[in-house]
Amino acid sequence: MPVSTAFAIAGALVVLAIVAGFALRSFDGRRRAGGDLRVRPDDLDAPLAAPATLVQFSTELCARCPQVRRLLGEIAQHHVGVDHVEVDLTNRNDLATRYRVLQTPTTFLVDSSGAVLSRWSGVPDRRAISAALTAVPNLHPQEQR
Amino acid sequence: MTQPAGIDPRGPRFAAGITAVLLLVATVLALTGISTAQSLAQRALDSGFLLLAVIAALFLWGVLSPTTAPWAVLFRRSVKPRLAPASEIEDPRPPRFAQGVGLTVVTIGLALHLIGVPLALPIAAGAAFIAAFLNAVFAFCLGCQIYLLLQRTGLTGRSAPAA
Repeated sequence: MPVSTAFAIAGALVVLAIVAGFALRSFDGRRRAGGDLRVRPDDLDAPLAAPATLVQFSTELCARCPQVRRLLGEIAQHHVGVDHVEVDLTNRNDLATRYRVLQTPTTFLVDSSGAVLSRWSGVPDRRAISAALTAVPNLHPQEQR
Repeated sequence: MTQPAGIDPRGPRFAAGITAVLLLVATVLALTGISTAQSLAQRALDSGFLLLAVIAALFLWGVLSPTTAPWAVLFRRSVKPRLAPASEIEDPRPPRFAQGVGLTVVTIGLALHLIGVPLALPIAAGAAFIAAFLNAVFAFCLGCQIYLLLQRTGLTGRSAPAA
């Protein structure tokens, strides 16, 4: 095979890798349906808030968990009736299986009965969470706590 | 089992960057190199084969002793001091497993090439390149994801999630 063809193939490979990278990036943090998952109150350190709770699944050595923690904490602060609760999966593989958590951080938007309304894997977009919150019934308009 | 100490996530990405460059070079060499129709000895002396064998050895080093592997040492000594302190740390086990995935893919390519399978070498090098590139540029670690999946299904024998 002539060198020029090989270089062309190598170039195509790089382009393919770049496209794949952007595709993966767009999937990361994308909102997905909660399915029929229900969060058990016993699995949380704090009670479920009404009308909604942002449940964050983290582990001890999780590179992107701190920034999600800050993000969700801010969102919870700016919405009355929305709490941010964190679940440490470091030694709890059973919880990871129960809630089908494949990576951390994973965020659930949970209503007061525990039903999972939405889920995000990776770092969620702030606006996506706000949009999901507007669909929650009984959510008061944004007010400072 | 206790969690191992966390590592700077930029270290594996730096190593992946160097590895990606080497793999791209190996891909080009493998594409322009000797046809697999030649004899076994000639196939083993193909420049693409030799470079890929070196890369395989580096992957093996990364699996057996990640902290002493060349790019990790280079990162700690020359790159990390020039960067801002690590704001986050990550579990070292998934990246270490990812080195094993790279080793597996490349070794399969080397073996198939020696047997005489056409294009085995550039395909293996190309596939490994894509994974290394995604890790270095987009911080997406394919091998790590495989590790986490195996862990959820219990195949790695660990009781605690790694990430």
